[in-house]
Amino acid sequence: MSRRRFPWLSYLVVVTGAVLTVVPFLDMVMTSFKGPGESGTLPYRFLPEAFDLANYRAAMDQLDLPVLFRNSVVATALITGSVLLTSSLAGYALAKLRFPGRDLIFRLVLSTMMFPPFLFFVPHFLILVHWPLAGGNDLFGRGGAGLTVSICALAIPFLVNGFGIFLMRQFMVSIPDEVLEAARIDGAGEFAVWWRIVLPQTKPVLVTLGLLTFVDAWNEYIWALLVSTADPDVMTLPVGIQLLQDYVDPTRTMPIVMAGLVLSVLPVLVLFLLLQKYYIRGVMLSGLR
Amino acid sequence: MVNVLTPERAERAHGPRPARPVVAARDRTRRRQTVVAYLFLAPTLLFFAVFLVLPLGFALLLSLSHWSGFALGDIRPVGLDNFTGLFADGSTFLAPVLTNTLLFALGTVALALAGSLTVATCIDNLRFQGLWRTLYFLPIVTTVVAVGNVWKYMYEPGGLVNGALNALGLDSVAFLQDPDTALPSVVVVQAWASVGTAILVLTAGLKSIPESYYEAAALDGAGPVTVFRRITLPLLRPSLLLVCVTQIVTGLQSFALIVVMTRGGPGDATDVAALEMYRQAFSYGDWGTASAAAFVLFAVVLAVTLLQLWIFRRGGEDA
Repeated sequence: MSRRRFPWLSYLVVVTGAVLTVVPFLDMVMTSFKGPGESGTLPYRFLPEAFDLANYRAAMDQLDLPVLFRNSVVATALITGSVLLTSSLAGYALAKLRFPGRDLIFRLVLSTMMFPPFLFFVPHFLILVHWPLAGGNDLFGRGGAGLTVSICALAIPFLVNGFGIFLMRQFMVSIPDEVLEAARIDGAGEFAVWWRIVLPQTKPVLVTLGLLTFVDAWNEYIWALLVSTADPDVMTLPVGIQLLQDYVDPTRTMPIVMAGLVLSVLPVLVLFLLLQKYYIRGVMLSGLR
Repeated sequence: MVNVLTPERAERAHGPRPARPVVAARDRTRRRQTVVAYLFLAPTLLFFAVFLVLPLGFALLLSLSHWSGFALGDIRPVGLDNFTGLFADGSTFLAPVLTNTLLFALGTVALALAGSLTVATCIDNLRFQGLWRTLYFLPIVTTVVAVGNVWKYMYEPGGLVNGALNALGLDSVAFLQDPDTALPSVVVVQAWASVGTAILVLTAGLKSIPESYYEAAALDGAGPVTVFRRITLPLLRPSLLLVCVTQIVTGLQSFALIVVMTRGGPGDATDVAALEMYRQAFSYGDWGTASAAAFVLFAVVLAVTLLQLWIFRRGGEDA
């Protein structure tokens, strides 16, 4: 067959591309072990002189890593949990319940995906600052910092996701109505039908959506940067590591930054490698990443 | 399976019912379903009201006002001044900011498309496709802070890229410090980070092309170039369109990578529209201009999307 005529050329192209993809990661890991005066000097050397954990210890000391981790974990967990819950609830209603206004609401959900995130940075921040009765604000949202000084601020704009609802709805539509009807006749309420019959059947999609949401939330940078400017106590890993750039000893800055980056990237990479089947299906379905 | 009764078994269990109560029961079910549906949808609808409709209205109001970001009472309507200000003489918004944005998006999509098309057609011939795909996917699950910093460091005089150039006997390049090379350098990184998705989409597209087409072409003695141009490319059109639209739209909006790598510099060589919006609001406290810039960028995103759809439709294939 003609398209299998040059496999060696194919191997050359694919392996070269893969090397180009992986080398920056290797450079990150190698640099994270480099000692003072070893990085950023000429001539460039790929390997460090010794694999020594000093930079990792420095990153731990310099940053409040446990706090950064906690903030990242809390925000990511809030977002992922909320997206899964709201998407599967709304998805079920839109897929399997009959009620006036269903098509209109479905179209609304679809249209939310059209608005780019940058449109919302400014108004979301203002809404959180002026949130009534929070962070020293009065009933009309005046006087204090509002919700921007709470760890919830990291999560709030991402708690509901139009794509998530769409995804859940598309999968729930294919569950046979007879199964649900039988359970209803059996006396199960809608909540029980959703919880005991629909959710177990959509487990793979829930994993996919959860993983996509987790990765996005863990990696989110711009919004977290905004919120932590208002309140440094809610700083997340990406924001904190970016700040490491101002480390006092310039000969060691980059290796320490790289050590912090390795630590922050590791959880997501491990999760991705374990569950990549689900993640890749999610990307195929969204086509958005 | 859960303890589920089929309708027939349920019928037997409860016995046949008279007609009237059935209708009444169905009405009751309808009413109950409506209540339950709105209960299930309540968090979503509430969220969209507060964090989608309200912000859009607020942003629209701000784009027509002057406001420096303190008390809400200070919002002063100024009509279209913010928009005319963006395009006035001496404003940097049209050039270089918007042109940078377009160059960034188009450059990224061109590189990512060329790279992913090459790699995807090659992967299709190989074994261990899953392994290759995983490798190409690593940048996508990596935070932009890591991607940006690693590349920024690799671009430095003592970094990997210049090290490789020196090893080949070439002079070092001040990639991010030179206004001429800064934007292309950032484009390369954005393309590197997004090529994995494109490969995934294109590989799936290639798999959906029936093997028999290639066999027929081989029987006719068609060469690889002809096969690629006459079979692969036309049948891959929907996948190519998907990659094009999503990557251009992403490219037009993204600025996190630029914040990490150059903060728009040197000068305004890598300043893009979304970054300009961010800075107008949070650095200069000009919230009106920021909101106006956001809407202009939104209009550009919409226009580019529609234009692309139109071009591909006109090309004959319905995507």
